[in-house]
Amino acid sequence: MKIKDLIKQDAGFQYIVDSMEFMSSAGRRTMLNTEFCPDAATLTREWNRLDHAIEVVKKFKYKKPYIELRHCLMQLHDLQGTLASLSNHTPLNEVELFEIKNLAHLSRIASGTISDLKLSEILPLPDTLEVFSLLDPDHTGIANFYIYDSYDDRLTPLRRELKTLQEHDGDPGRISQLLAEQSDIQNRICTQLSDRLHPWTETLVTTMEQMAYADFLLAKAELSIQWELTRPEIGEHTEYKALVNPRLKERNEARKLRYQPVDVTLHPGITLITGANMAGKTVLLKSVGTAQIMAQCGMYVPASMAVIRLVQDVITSIGDEQDEMNGLSSYAAEILKISDILAACRQKELLVLIDEPARTTNPIEGKALVQSIIKILNALNSTTLITTHYSGLGGGEFCRLRVKGFVENMADVPLTPQNINHFIDYSLTEDNGDDVPHEALRIASILGCDSEMIDLARQNIRL
Amino acid sequence: MPFVKNILNYRNLSIVGLEKNTGKTVCLNYILRRLNEMGIHVGVTSIGVDGEQVDSVFSTAKPEVTLYEGTHFITSEQHYQKRQAVSILEHVDSRRTALGPLVTARVLVRGKVLLSGAATTGILHTQIKQLDSMGVELSIVDGALSRLSLASPTVTEAMILATGAAVSANIKQLVSRTKFLHSLILLDEVPTLLREKLTTIESGLWSVDNEQQPHDLGIASVFLIDRAEKDILRFGKTLFASGAVSDRLLRILATKDNGITLIVRDFTKLFITPEAYVEFTRRDGRLMVLQRSRLIAVTLNPTSPQGFLLDSKTTCDALGEALQTPVYDVMKIEQ
Repeated sequence: MKIKDLIKQDAGFQYIVDSMEFMSSAGRRTMLNTEFCPDAATLTREWNRLDHAIEVVKKFKYKKPYIELRHCLMQLHDLQGTLASLSNHTPLNEVELFEIKNLAHLSRIASGTISDLKLSEILPLPDTLEVFSLLDPDHTGIANFYIYDSYDDRLTPLRRELKTLQEHDGDPGRISQLLAEQSDIQNRICTQLSDRLHPWTETLVTTMEQMAYADFLLAKAELSIQWELTRPEIGEHTEYKALVNPRLKERNEARKLRYQPVDVTLHPGITLITGANMAGKTVLLKSVGTAQIMAQCGMYVPASMAVIRLVQDVITSIGDEQDEMNGLSSYAAEILKISDILAACRQKELLVLIDEPARTTNPIEGKALVQSIIKILNALNSTTLITTHYSGLGGGEFCRLRVKGFVENMADVPLTPQNINHFIDYSLTEDNGDDVPHEALRIASILGCDSEMIDLARQNIRL
Repeated sequence: MPFVKNILNYRNLSIVGLEKNTGKTVCLNYILRRLNEMGIHVGVTSIGVDGEQVDSVFSTAKPEVTLYEGTHFITSEQHYQKRQAVSILEHVDSRRTALGPLVTARVLVRGKVLLSGAATTGILHTQIKQLDSMGVELSIVDGALSRLSLASPTVTEAMILATGAAVSANIKQLVSRTKFLHSLILLDEVPTLLREKLTTIESGLWSVDNEQQPHDLGIASVFLIDRAEKDILRFGKTLFASGAVSDRLLRILATKDNGITLIVRDFTKLFITPEAYVEFTRRDGRLMVLQRSRLIAVTLNPTSPQGFLLDSKTTCDALGEALQTPVYDVMKIEQ
């Protein structure tokens, strides 16, 4: 799966991709076409390049070669159409030839700055001197282009006569004749140049792709520095210290709200997470998914330490599957999705994230379903994270975590619905019991909900 | 020669027509020829698609723009292919228009060129900057059909207004329509201090109190003025509309009170008819602008696209008297 598909499935990842700053549309296209990669060697190679790039950006950020390289990339045009024409022998016009010359010119400047930055090993650019020379018959050394007189001996006298006629309002018939002749010669030269450039198609495609990749790599490096992202290690399990959800963190900071990073460890099989409402269970699920996608797309992750168990795919069921347009209820859509997940997990190793399964149906059958989902997935190789409010799910060898949740004396300010997040400890703790926190009524009361409703509910529990 | 000297006080200017076929291109050709004789390094572009060889509305022959050695110009790729001048490409823009990307080139051997350009004033603004960076001393923007936005003083420093028989075959009507637009172009500017306060406001309808303090009236767009719950004149009778103003706003204001002053950014934000304006001024309403356009000249094309010809001298005189400014017949100055 490519990044362009992954961002449609994961809003958190979309946010990350949108935060990257590209110099060119070609760089952005390269990013969008990057595949989710399950191969350790490929990822390690990519992370090594990123390491190198981060070092260079830190060292040269405001220095001349780096600024020059960014400036070069800013002028990079996406020449896919032109290069396709060149590849299948369609003659290029003057503007397209200019674009080719400009690409050759830019790549030569970029190549120089890349070597100054000692990045040549990871960003090698092909030599385009011959392409440039072909389009620079007068050896001007600059990227301007027209059908130079030196391409054809007939052009100099023709243009000299044209100039004289134009300056003295000469015979319009003769002017038209000369313009037509010039046009014929120019077309012939465009065709000849296209033929001579044809063997260079692959070199030019590589040049453009490499420059676009350089743009992507530098965007990743800049983001890694700005957000203090961490290089993950590849391991047999997945583990984060101080995992962050960048979108939520930024939003909280904008509202001057507290944000608490979380530590979490996941092993193949089931990890069950319980915790009160508002305790950040869903956010944790999303953060784990986004971090896994980032890592396997060759990026670093938002945590202070990360170990990643590589998977074939990340698959989620996070409560937004309801599709009334398809005539499915939220329950039907969800259970179909989970059924698909089980089928997929029997085929390959995945990271599975399921938020409160079967919460929209009756608690008896709902709980029974959750128990069966846990049993099936716990026996498979995939890493599965499930949140739930159901208690008494029974035994089985799986990991249970609980969000510590609501702590009344955590902050020194009076508790209000607006600052409630200052009173929640989002960290996880191992949970051996089979019970879940009962804090729904307390939270409803803090939120200032109808007191009669809450009192009656309390009585109902006591009955 | 008339008015070309005035042009040299500015770094860029637009030529806008009251209608199509009011002689913008003839006027541009005249200016370019004169500037070439004076050795000025000129840059030329257009807004939208213009400069067709055959006028797409009336199918009449349309003169192309003659560009001279050294002139920089911006046009679309497709129009570039049709040029008669010999020129060298210096830049190709990454944005695409319906006619391919915009290209920038320098003329090597003079000849005719079809001009097209940016679709928005924002892009036009960057194009003008680009011409500046290429050493151009004066950039000229050729207007397109019923596009006044480029004449906004935020886009070009000065303007030339082209009018002609295409507007109306009736001299009286021609004069009155030209005079109306002319009066909007020459609306009074607000004092500098107030301009500084209002210029950064980006949206909505605002009120200015007696201490010259702006207050947001909480009306996101003047089109929503009907739904305003509170009296819009509670802070005073001076209002500022940050966006476009239509007849409706003027008519609503005319019903509210006498003596309202409405400030707009510049005359290109006014989409109003003479009738609504008269109604507004009859109640002592007054329009003002943050920034006034510098009008260099008014030119006349006495020929209409349907083929009839107004008497040049009579029309120029009638216009000149009504506008209190010299009016030039473009056909005559070309000769």
